[in-house]
Amino acid sequence: MVTENKLKKIAKEVLRISKVAESEVLLLVGEHGLTRFANNQIHQNVAWEDVGISVRIINNKKIGVASGNSFKQTDLNNVVERASQLSKLQKEDPNYICLPEAKKIDRIKESVYDSKPEERAEAVDIIIRKAKDNNIIASGAFDSSTTEIAVANSRGVWAYHAASSSDLSTIILGADSTGFASKLGRKPEQINAEEVANKAIQKVLEGKNPQEVKPSEWDVILEPQAVNEMMTFFSWLGPNPRIYFEQASNLSGKVGKKIFGSNITIIDDPLNKSTFQMPFDFEGYPKKRLEIVKNGILKSLVYDSYYANKYKKENSGHALPAPNTNGPMPFHLVIAPGKKSLDEMIKNVKKGLLVTRLWYVRVLNPRSLNITGMTRDGTFIIRNGEIIGAAKNLRFNQSIPEALNNVVEIGRDLELLSSFETEIGTNRMPSLHIKNWNFTSGTEF
Amino acid sequence: MKKQALEILRRIPKVDYADVRVVEKESEYIATKDGVVEALESSKSLGFGVRVLTNGSWGFAGSNNFSKIGIEKTARKAVLIAQTSSKYKSCDVRLTPLKAVKADYKTPVKEDPFKVPMESKINLLIAADNAQRVSDKIVISQTSFSANKETKTFVSSIGSEIVQEILWTGAGIEASASDGSDFQNRSYPNSHGGQFATRGFELVREMDLIGNAPRIAGEAVSLLTAPICPTAEFDLILDSNQLALQIHESCGHATELDRVLGYEASYAGTSFLTPEKLGKFKYGSKIVNLTADATISGGLGTFGYDDEGVPAQKVYLVKDGIFVDYQTSRETVEELKKIVPKYKAGSNGTMRAVGWGYIPLIRMTNVNLEPGAWKMQDLISDTKRGILMSTNKSWSIDDKRLNFQFGTEIAWEIKNGKKARIFKNPTYQGMTPKFWGSCDAICGRDEWVVWGTPNCGKGQPSQVMYTGHGASPARFRKVKVGVVKKW
Repeated sequence: MVTENKLKKIAKEVLRISKVAESEVLLLVGEHGLTRFANNQIHQNVAWEDVGISVRIINNKKIGVASGNSFKQTDLNNVVERASQLSKLQKEDPNYICLPEAKKIDRIKESVYDSKPEERAEAVDIIIRKAKDNNIIASGAFDSSTTEIAVANSRGVWAYHAASSSDLSTIILGADSTGFASKLGRKPEQINAEEVANKAIQKVLEGKNPQEVKPSEWDVILEPQAVNEMMTFFSWLGPNPRIYFEQASNLSGKVGKKIFGSNITIIDDPLNKSTFQMPFDFEGYPKKRLEIVKNGILKSLVYDSYYANKYKKENSGHALPAPNTNGPMPFHLVIAPGKKSLDEMIKNVKKGLLVTRLWYVRVLNPRSLNITGMTRDGTFIIRNGEIIGAAKNLRFNQSIPEALNNVVEIGRDLELLSSFETEIGTNRMPSLHIKNWNFTSGTEF
Repeated sequence: MKKQALEILRRIPKVDYADVRVVEKESEYIATKDGVVEALESSKSLGFGVRVLTNGSWGFAGSNNFSKIGIEKTARKAVLIAQTSSKYKSCDVRLTPLKAVKADYKTPVKEDPFKVPMESKINLLIAADNAQRVSDKIVISQTSFSANKETKTFVSSIGSEIVQEILWTGAGIEASASDGSDFQNRSYPNSHGGQFATRGFELVREMDLIGNAPRIAGEAVSLLTAPICPTAEFDLILDSNQLALQIHESCGHATELDRVLGYEASYAGTSFLTPEKLGKFKYGSKIVNLTADATISGGLGTFGYDDEGVPAQKVYLVKDGIFVDYQTSRETVEELKKIVPKYKAGSNGTMRAVGWGYIPLIRMTNVNLEPGAWKMQDLISDTKRGILMSTNKSWSIDDKRLNFQFGTEIAWEIKNGKKARIFKNPTYQGMTPKFWGSCDAICGRDEWVVWGTPNCGKGQPSQVMYTGHGASPARFRKVKVGVVKKW
C-alpha cells in the first residue's frame, strides 16, 4: 500500500510539472499473489507488486499519453515530458472538448487485506484432498490482490479507492468428465474452498460417460458463469457509444426501442453492496446505478467524457484508461433476477441441456452481435424436468439479442463473477432458461 | 543491468536453483480513426523477477523496487512461496541439465522504429487512413502502429548470464463499410492490427499501407453486396494469413507440453496430443511438416535464448504427417521422460514470460507449416469447386484443440480452376486431425510468410505473448464451409 496521502502528493506533483491547462494523471498500485495447482499439487505460486502511472496531456485538443512504473521524481519528470512531447506532435482531435470537472464522489471504505501464500495453499489443499478422496484430479487457481487506484486532473478531480479481492476457481478432471466451480470474495476468508470443491466434484461425478447429442436448436439453461461469459460481449459491443454511432452495433439507432424480451432488465450497478464496488471511473468521474435495458427496452448507453461531449449526452462514469480505442464499457452488469431456483428451472424443461460454462467465445459479427464458442466443464441432458446424464461438448453459433428475446425463465439467485477478464469489476448474473439455442457441431469429449 | 541482476541473484537465500530476470520494456503505440489520431502513447516499465526452486517446489516474486530492501523482500518472498508450496507437494520438480551460457543477442533491424520521427509515423498513418475513403459507404477508416523493445538480462545459479534486446514492430489498416443494414471489414496486411515482426520500421515501409488502402477499402464496399458464403463441403484454400492462425490454434497450442501434462487445465485447457501418441499419431497428411523455429530471421517468435537460458532452436513437431515432438521446457521434459522413457531430448527452448512480473511458460516461438512446391495460381487452376478464404475474422477452438471454427473477412469462389465472385461472411469448421489429414497441396517458399500473432493469451495471471507462424497458401479437401447460417 502506498496510501492516499502519498498518492495525492504524487498526483499534485505531476500536475504541477505538466504546466499545461489540461492534464490528467492515473495512478495504480497493485500487490498480487496467485497460487496455481494442477495434477493435485501446487505447481505455480507467484507474487508480484508494481505501480503504474499514466499521464494524459492535452495541448489545444492535441492529446498525448505516456506511462511508466515508477514514482521517483526523475521518472515522474520523464513520463510528463514524454506525454507533453507526444501532445505537441499530435494532430488536433476536433471531437475532444475537455476533461471532466470535479464531482462529489461517495467514498466507499473497503478493508484491504494482505493475503499470505499459506492461506491460499490451505484452501487449495482442501480442494486437492477432496479430489484425491474421489480418485480424480484437481486443478485451479487462487488469486488474491490489493489494488489502489487514484485519478487527478487539472480541473480539480481527485478520486481514490483501495480494495482487495480473492478469486478461487477449480476445474476437476475425471476419466471422461470435468467440472468447474469458482468463488469471488473480498478476502480469502469469505471463500469456502470446501463448497467450491464439492460443486466441481459433483459436476465431474454426474458428468461421467457423456453422450453425443445432436447439434441443433436446444432449450438450454445457462448457469450464471455461462450467462456471464455471454454478457461480457454485450458489455463490449452493446451499450457502447463508439460503435453505436458508427452504425457498427446491433443496437445502433435503437435507444428507446424494444431490443430484448420484456422479462429482461439489465443494470450497471457499481455501488451495490453485493458487488465489488467502484465509486468512480478511470477519469475520476463518479459512477452511479444505470438502467441500460428495462423490460426489454434499450434505455441508455454508457458514456465517458469524450463520447458524452461528442454526442451531447450525460457522462455516466464509464471511462477506461486513456488512450481508449474501444469506447466506454460497463463493468458491473446485473440481469434482474427472476423467482425460481435452478432446480425449479430444470423442472420446467421438457428436453434441454444444462450448460455450466462457455469457452473460447468470440464475436462472429458485431453488427448482429452473434458469437461462437464451446460448452465446457459440465454439460447435462435434461428430460422431463430431470437431469438424465451428461452430454459431450458442443459448439454454438448464437446471436445474443436473439437469445435475450428467447428467455423463458430467469433464476432468482445472482452469482458474483469477474467481468470481461479484466478484473476491473464484477457482474452479478442469474441462470437463464433460453429456448432455441443454436448448436452447430460437437467435439469428442 | 547485468551487474544489478547478479547482485539480486547474490541476495537470494540458499536454494537448489535460482534465476533472475531484469526486464526493461519500452513501447510506442499510434492508432488513427477517421483521419484523427485516436491514441498516441509511450509506455515504459522496469522491474525484476526472482524464480527459485527449493525442496522440489517453485516460488516466484517480482517487483519494480530495486532498493536494497525491495530486492531482499522480493527474494525472501520467492523463497517463502517455494517453501509453502513444498509443504503440499506430491512430487519434486526436476530440471533437465543445461550448460551455462554467457551471451548477448540483439534483434537485427535496419531502421530503429523509435528513431523514426513521430511526425513521419503519424503522417504515414493519417495518409493511409485517408486513402481508405474510396466511397461514401466507408464508414470507418483505421490504422495502427506499434513498436516494442524488451531488454532483458537473465542470470541463473548455474552460471548463465544472457543479455538480450528484442525489438518488434507492427502496423496495419482496417476499412469498414456499411450500407445501413450490413457492415463489412477488410484489413491489410492482416487483421488484429496487421503484420508484426522482430524487425524495424523497414517492415512498415515495405507494407505500402497507403498504396494498398484503396484496394482494401474497395473490397470492404464490394462485400456489402456480395452473396453470403454458401453452406456445403468444398475444397478449401487458405491464404497464408488465415493458415497462420489455424496453425497457431490447432498445432501450436496442442503441442505445448505444459498443456499436455495438465498444467494449464485450470484455464486454457489440455490437449488431444497425449504422450502415448508421440511418434505414432497421424496428425496430418504426408505433406504436412510443422516446425517450432525460434531462429527464423524476422519471426515474431524469434530470440536468442528462452527465459530459462536455453538456446533458440528449430524442432519438428509434425514430420511427414506424424506427430513427433512437443514444445518443451526444462521441467516438462523431465516429466515427459517418466511417461515416455525413450524420449531423450533436452528442453527445446520455448519458455518465455511476458514481462518481469511473470513466470516463464511454454510459449510458441514461430510454429510453421513448412512450404511445399505449389504456386498459388497452379493451386487455383487445379481446383474444380472450391473456396479461397483470406484474413481472419473470428476464431474459436475447444479446450483440447479438436473442434475449431474460423471465419474470415473475405472468400472467393473457385470454379473450374478460376477465381470467381467474392463471398461475404465465410466460415469453416472441422476437427484438427481430420482437417490436417485432408491437406493435399502446399505452396512454396516464394509465397511463405512468417505472420506475427502478437496477442496469444495463456496462463494465470494471463500473459499475452508475441508468436510467429510461417505459412504459405494450402489446400484442404472436403471441408465444411458456411457453417454459420444466421448473420
